Amino acid sequence: MRSPLWKLGAAAVAVGVMAVTMTGCAGSGASADTVNIGWEYPKSGTFQALGIDMENGFNLYLKTHHNKLGGRNVKLVPADETDKPDESLKQAQRLVEKENVQALAGIMNSAALVAIDPYAQENKIPIVSSGGRPDLKPKQLDGVWHTGSINEHGGEAAAPYIKKQVDGPVYAMGADYAGGWPKVKGFTKQFQKLGGKLANADGKPEWTSFPKAPDFQPYMNKIADSGAKAIFAFYSGTQAIDFIKAWASSDAADIPLYGPNLTEGSLLKAEGKSAKGIYTPANYSADLDNSANRDFVSKWTADNRPGLPDLYAATAWDAAQVLDKAIKAIPAGEEVTGEKINKQISKLGEISSPRGDWQFDSKTHAPIQPWYMRVVKMDGNKLSNVKIADLETL
Amino acid sequence: MDAYLLNVVNGVAYGLLLFTVAAGLTLALGVADVLNLAHGSLYVVGGYVAWAFTDGGWGGFVLALLVAVAVGALLGAGLSAAVAPLSKRGHLPQALLTFGISLLLIQALVAMFGADDLSPAMPAALDGDVSLMGHRYPGYRLAFIGIAVVLAVAGWMIMSRTRVGARVRAIVDDRDMVACLGTNPRLVMVGVLAASGALAGLAGALGSPIFGPGPTRAHDIMITSLVIVVLGGLGSIPGAFVAALVVGQIEGLGPLIAGDWTSYLVLGAMAVVLVVRGPRRLGLAAAR
Amino acid sequence: MIARLSRWWPVILLAVLAAIPFTVDTWTVGTLSRTLAVGVLAISVALLTGIAGLPTLGQVAPYAVGAYLTVALAAAGFSVGPMQLLLAAAAGAVFNAAIGAAVIRTRGAAFLMVTLAVCGLTEEVAQQWTSVTGGSDGTGWMPAFTLWWGGADVTDKSTVYWYALAVTAIAAAAMIALNRSTAGTLVRAARDDELRMRASGHRVGVLLWGTYTVAGAVAGLAGGLLAEVVRFVSPSDVDLSASALVLLAVVIGGTSSIVGAVLGAAVLLVMQDQIITALGDAAQGQAPVVLGAVAVACVYLLPKGLSGLREHLPRRRRSRRQEAA
Repeated sequence: MRSPLWKLGAAAVAVGVMAVTMTGCAGSGASADTVNIGWEYPKSGTFQALGIDMENGFNLYLKTHHNKLGGRNVKLVPADETDKPDESLKQAQRLVEKENVQALAGIMNSAALVAIDPYAQENKIPIVSSGGRPDLKPKQLDGVWHTGSINEHGGEAAAPYIKKQVDGPVYAMGADYAGGWPKVKGFTKQFQKLGGKLANADGKPEWTSFPKAPDFQPYMNKIADSGAKAIFAFYSGTQAIDFIKAWASSDAADIPLYGPNLTEGSLLKAEGKSAKGIYTPANYSADLDNSANRDFVSKWTADNRPGLPDLYAATAWDAAQVLDKAIKAIPAGEEVTGEKINKQISKLGEISSPRGDWQFDSKTHAPIQPWYMRVVKMDGNKLSNVKIADLETL
Repeated sequence: MDAYLLNVVNGVAYGLLLFTVAAGLTLALGVADVLNLAHGSLYVVGGYVAWAFTDGGWGGFVLALLVAVAVGALLGAGLSAAVAPLSKRGHLPQALLTFGISLLLIQALVAMFGADDLSPAMPAALDGDVSLMGHRYPGYRLAFIGIAVVLAVAGWMIMSRTRVGARVRAIVDDRDMVACLGTNPRLVMVGVLAASGALAGLAGALGSPIFGPGPTRAHDIMITSLVIVVLGGLGSIPGAFVAALVVGQIEGLGPLIAGDWTSYLVLGAMAVVLVVRGPRRLGLAAAR
Repeated sequence: MIARLSRWWPVILLAVLAAIPFTVDTWTVGTLSRTLAVGVLAISVALLTGIAGLPTLGQVAPYAVGAYLTVALAAAGFSVGPMQLLLAAAAGAVFNAAIGAAVIRTRGAAFLMVTLAVCGLTEEVAQQWTSVTGGSDGTGWMPAFTLWWGGADVTDKSTVYWYALAVTAIAAAAMIALNRSTAGTLVRAARDDELRMRASGHRVGVLLWGTYTVAGAVAGLAGGLLAEVVRFVSPSDVDLSASALVLLAVVIGGTSSIVGAVLGAAVLLVMQDQIITALGDAAQGQAPVVLGAVAVACVYLLPKGLSGLREHLPRRRRSRRQEAA
C-alpha cells in the first residue's frame, strides 16, 4: 500500500477546512442607514422556473429604485428555498441567525411558508411572501404578510363568472397535494353555493398524482364522457404543460377549460397553440390599463427582462414596494428592526400596484384586490393571456 | 366502452414509450451489470436535443433523432469509462456514482437550457390530431406506436438473429463463461452502455412531445423504468416489453377504474409481484 | 502513540463532537442536530444494507412513523423527549415487524425495489393523510420537548445538540454491541452465505425478520429525534431523495460501519450546507452540484468508505474491530 497516511492526511485537511468555514464570520448588523433583507426564493428544484419570475419582479423594483428601500441602502441576502420545506426553514434560520436580516421576502412554496412562519414569529422577523398562501390561523399571522393571493381566491372569484357563462355541470380536478386542494376547492365551494353542479361521477373533484406527472390522456377521455360543459382545473409547472397538451388533443378540447395558473409566465411558451382559448382567473394581467402597470411593463421591457411580466413578477414587485413604503415610514436616523417594519406594514393604506389598487386585509394579512378573467389568444404575432372581464374584488 | 378502448390504445402508446427507455436500462443492468441511475437524465438529454434541433420540418426532426442517438451513445460510452474502475465493487457504488453524475448532468442542462419545461416543434404532419374510433386523439402518439413497434422488431431481430445478439444473450445467462470464450468484457461494456445510452437518447427525443424535457422529468422516468426492468427480469428485453405494456395499461385504465388510487397501483403491483415471487437466484446473486 | 490513541477513539470522537457548539455559530449547531437525526437513520440503513446484506430505500417508512408519532404526541401535550423517542422507536419496530414478514422474502436488487415501493407509498401516505401529517404543507411547528416530566422546554440550540449527540451515541453503541454479539455474527454469516446457513439449520428468515424489526426501531428513534430537533416534519423528509441521500451516506461511511454511517451523513449534509454558505450568495441554488460532486468524489477516493481509512491506522486489534464497528 503506497503512502498509507496520504488519505488520512487528506481527510484531516478536509475536516480542517470544514472547521474553518464553519466558524466563518456572521453578517453585519443593522444600522440606521442600511437594512438587511433575506430574499429567499426557489433557485433549484420543482419551483425554480417560478423563482426566476419572482426574482425578476423583486430585482427590477430595487434596480429602478437605486437599490434602496425607504431611503436606506439594501443588503439583499439571497437564499435557495428549494422544494423541500425543511430546507427552506434551514435557510431562513441562516438568514436570521447568521446574516441578521430584518425581514424575509420571497417564499414561493405554501409549505415553506408554513414551515418558516412560526420560526420567524418567534424571532420577531416579519415575512412579506408573494408565492402560495395557504389558510393560516389568526395566531400564525402576526408579522406574516402576503402580497400574492390566498390559494382559494382565484377559484372563488371565477365561480360566479363561470356559473353565468356555462350552462351545465363543471368537471373539477387538480394536483393531489396541500397546495392543489384549495385552488380547486375555492372554486367548487363557491360554485356549488351558487347552485352549480359538478360533472364528476361522485360529485367530488378528481385528484391526480403529485409530484409525479401522470399521463393525462386517459383522464381526458373520462372528462369527455362525463357530460361536463366546462372544466375547472389547477396544475402548475410540468404538470400544467402535460395537462394542457392532453386536453388540446382530445375530445375534451371541445369543453372550455378554466383554471388558475394554467398558462402563467413561461408555461405558455411551452404549451404553445395547445393553450389557445384557456381561461385563467388571475390577480394580474400584463395588459391591464392602469398607469402603475404601464410604468411596470415599460421598465420591464426597458431592462430586457424576458417576455412580459407575469403574476409572480408583479406580486414580488409589490413585496418590494410594501417593504419600501414600510421602511420609509420609520423615521430617518432610527435603526430599522423587524418589529418596526411589521408595525409600519400594518399601517399601510392603499397600495398603487400594477394589478390595480389593493390593500391588506387586516384579518388575513393578504391583499383585498381586484380579480380578472383572462383568455389565451393571439396578441399580435404571439400568444398571450388577455384580460376579457373584471371579476369581483376579494 | 369507447373510453376504455381508447384508453387501451393510449396505454399501448405510453407503454411503448416506457419500453423504449427501459430496454436500454435492462441492457445496461443485465448485460453490462451496471445499475445506471443516470439513465433517466439521458432520456432528458435526448429531449433537450430534440428541442434544440427540431424546427417544425422533417429535416430537423430526423436530424434531432440522429443527434440524440449520437449524444446518448457518447454519454453512455463515457459512463462505461466512469464505472469501469468499480467493476469489482458491486452495484451500490455504481448506483452512487451514476446518481451523482445524474445530478451534475441535470444541473448542467438547466444551466444550458434554463429551468423551464420545453416543447420541441414537431413536423406538422405528426403534430396534428387524428380521429380514432370517432374520438380526437393526438396523431403523434399513433405515429409513435408505429415507430416503437419498428424499433422493437428491429431490436428483437438483432438480439435473436445476429451473432452480436447471441453473444449478448449469452452474457446475461453466464457472464464468466462468455469471458472464457474470448469475448473482451471491456469492449462489451462500452458497446452495451453506448447502445443503452443511444436508446435513452432516442426515447427522449421521440418521447419529447409526450413527456417533454424539463429539470424534474428524469426522476419520474427513472423510477418507472426501474420498475419495468425489475418486473420484466434484469436483462430480458421481451420481459421489459411485456412489463412496459402492463404498466402502460395500469396507468391508462387506472383513472377509469381505480380513481384516486391510481398513484399507488404501479408501485404496489411491483411490490406484490416481487414478494410473491420470493427469493430467487437473481436476487441472491445481485446483492452486493 | 497513535496506536494507543486509536483504542480510545470513541471517547475522543465524542469529546470532539461535544465541543463543537463552543467553536461554531448557533445556526451551524442547529444544522448539526438535524444531521445527527439523519445519522441515526443512516445507522438503521447500514444495519440492513451492510450488515444484513439487504440494500434498502424503505427505512424512511418507520422513520416517518416515528417522526409523525412524535409530533402527534407533542401536539397532544406529551412533551417528555426521551419517552417520545422510546415510543417512536417502539412504533418503528412494530411497523417494520409487520411489513418485514413480506419484505424479507426478497434479496438483493429485488429487495431494493420492494423497499423503493415502500418508500414511494410512504411519501404518498404522508402527502394524503392530512389529519396526521398536514399533507405537503407539513405538520406545522411542534411544541418543544422537555428532558423529564415537569422539566423546562429545551430550546437552546447547544442543549438540543448535546441531547441529539447523546441519543446518537447510545443508538450507535447499542448497534455496535448487537453487531458484535452472536446474533450479529449469525446475520453477517447469512449475508455472506445464506445457503450454507440454511443447510446448517439456522432459520435465516427469522434472523433477517428480527434484524428488520431492530432496524425499524432505530429508524423510528431517528424519526422521533428529527421531529424533536427540527420541530417540523414534511413529506420531503421521507421521500425518495431523502432515502437515496441516506443510502449514499451509508455507502460513503463504508456500508457496514455504524459509526461510518453517521459520519457519512455528516459529510454529505455538512459539506452541502457549509460549502454553499462559504462560497457566498452566488452559490445559492447549487446544492445539487455539491451533492453530485461529493458522491462522485467519494466513489473514487474512498473505495472502502470512511471506515476504510482506518486501515491506514496502525494495525492493532483491527481484525476484530473492522467488521464490528
